[in-house]
Amino acid sequence: MKKLIWATTLFVLFLIFVLPGLMALLIDFVPAEDQPPYRVDEKVSVYGKIIISQEFVSQEKNLSAIGISLGNPNLKNKKMISLNLYDAQDKLLRESNLNGQNFEDGDFVKFFFPTIADSKGKNYRFTISSPEAGPEEVIYVFYTPQAPSWMGHMVVENQIFDGATPFVTFHKPESRLSIVNKMYSRFLPFLR
Amino acid sequence: MKKLLVLAIILRLLVSAFYFHPDIKTYNFQASFFKKGVFNIYSYLIDNKKSLPLKDEFVYLPLTYFVLGGYQTIASPILGSGFDSWLANAGSNSAVRDPYIFKYLLILKLPYLILDILAAFLLMKFFDGEKEKKKAFMIWLFNPFTIVLIYVFGNIDVIPVFLTLVAFLLFKKDKLLAGSLVLGLASGFKMYPILFTPFLFLIGKDLKEKISLVSIPLVVLGFILLPFASQAFVQSALLSGLTTRIFSPGLPIGFNETIIVGLAAMAFLFFQEMQFKNKSNPLKLWASILLAIFAFSHFHIQWLLWIAPFIVILIVRYSKFSWLVFTMACLAFAIPLLYEDRFMTVSLLRIYSTWYDLLPTPFVVIERFYDPYALQGVLHSILAAGSLVFIWGILKKREI
Repeated sequence: MKKLIWATTLFVLFLIFVLPGLMALLIDFVPAEDQPPYRVDEKVSVYGKIIISQEFVSQEKNLSAIGISLGNPNLKNKKMISLNLYDAQDKLLRESNLNGQNFEDGDFVKFFFPTIADSKGKNYRFTISSPEAGPEEVIYVFYTPQAPSWMGHMVVENQIFDGATPFVTFHKPESRLSIVNKMYSRFLPFLR
Repeated sequence: MKKLLVLAIILRLLVSAFYFHPDIKTYNFQASFFKKGVFNIYSYLIDNKKSLPLKDEFVYLPLTYFVLGGYQTIASPILGSGFDSWLANAGSNSAVRDPYIFKYLLILKLPYLILDILAAFLLMKFFDGEKEKKKAFMIWLFNPFTIVLIYVFGNIDVIPVFLTLVAFLLFKKDKLLAGSLVLGLASGFKMYPILFTPFLFLIGKDLKEKISLVSIPLVVLGFILLPFASQAFVQSALLSGLTTRIFSPGLPIGFNETIIVGLAAMAFLFFQEMQFKNKSNPLKLWASILLAIFAFSHFHIQWLLWIAPFIVILIVRYSKFSWLVFTMACLAFAIPLLYEDRFMTVSLLRIYSTWYDLLPTPFVVIERFYDPYALQGVLHSILAAGSLVFIWGILKKREI
């Protein structure tokens, strides 16, 4: 019975103090901020030549991905969906493509690209398009007026929207240990 | 023993505070309407769906609503003024970042802790020898499975489990009618204890007692449910996925006819007891029924708690089954962890950080090199075989 008591005590201590740290080591990219809340009825259609454009200021260095909620009604879009990232001079920096068949309606989709090391505080613009898709294969991009100020306005076919598409930028952490630190910092303030 | 009890409580408090499954917030949000005088929660939630921040229906039976709502009313001075707005907060990230979440979780899980500890003492009453009593007490308090089930997933099942244990203790003490009544009450929280009702016919001594034993739980449950009889109630609680899932697996035999596996297994147990046994052991039968259900249905991890105290009694009595039971418990835990549900695994750590949402679930990881559904099937097949061996093993034992 002693073995059982020891094993269970160690198991619980492992769950509380060790497992969160071990799991944190598996995290490759971290978000700069939470995704702003949005309503599913506030959306614009993207297909063919219709492209959405979104400006932002990167909040962290090592920009590595942009995550965005996309609608794919009835999973009809099975075409390429592209995210292009431009700098303040409108120079194309990165391009990332996904196929519509890889995500379901309303999924939060991440577009990964090679890390931009010195991204913190710099202005960027990304576009979302699905050039091969016809009107039957539309994807939806949502927008929200509740976006933070570092997210600029969303623009679709020269129309400026009151708000931004609710996206999240992901950044490569400086080290795995910095993530582990962050995980325990809620309970151990000296780690902050 | 006192020191060990303190250790057991500390371990439980730690898990209570640091692990969060969103279900506990959802059903406590629903139960919070009791404080506002809502009686029929089923129709209230459906009628007000548009204006409520959380849209889920109340899937439990009425006693769960009244007991949780009543407890919240009593505990509200300790929970504080921000508690109701935390419950109503639909923002999954801001809810876990609330600085008072630890307090809320500890207080909401406190009734579970009390019932859990009482169950340990209750288990001792199933035995005469001091050694066996102590063994049952320790296995209950220091097995990792029930700690995870009760305090990580934080579901309400410990309430009907405790009452079912009381009912079977009464059966053991030959207080059959009282046990039958308590079984009816347990069904008022969650429907599953009513599955034992047909078997009460086997343990009655004469026809009059047999009919009384079968009728009492049904009448008690009927009284509990009757005031709520409505389309909303049927849709939310009676036909909810969890209630109907027990009898959903079937073997098609052609012409749209299906053998319902769970029901067939229960009927098999009933008839073999009736035909070949002079006296039935309710506890062994109950464990066998539940094992047969888990063996042949897509179960929710929380269901495993239903059988846990009875398994403890059986392995204290028949220790040679310990390793079989341990293996089966590991398998039974592994299967739901492979479901495509991140709140079964990585997102349970959200109190530490919402970044754990970024991790792939075991389902997604396995999907990269093998079909996770096939793996679930492999594990479930082994579990089914182990369950059948265990059922056969305990039912062939003659001692009651």
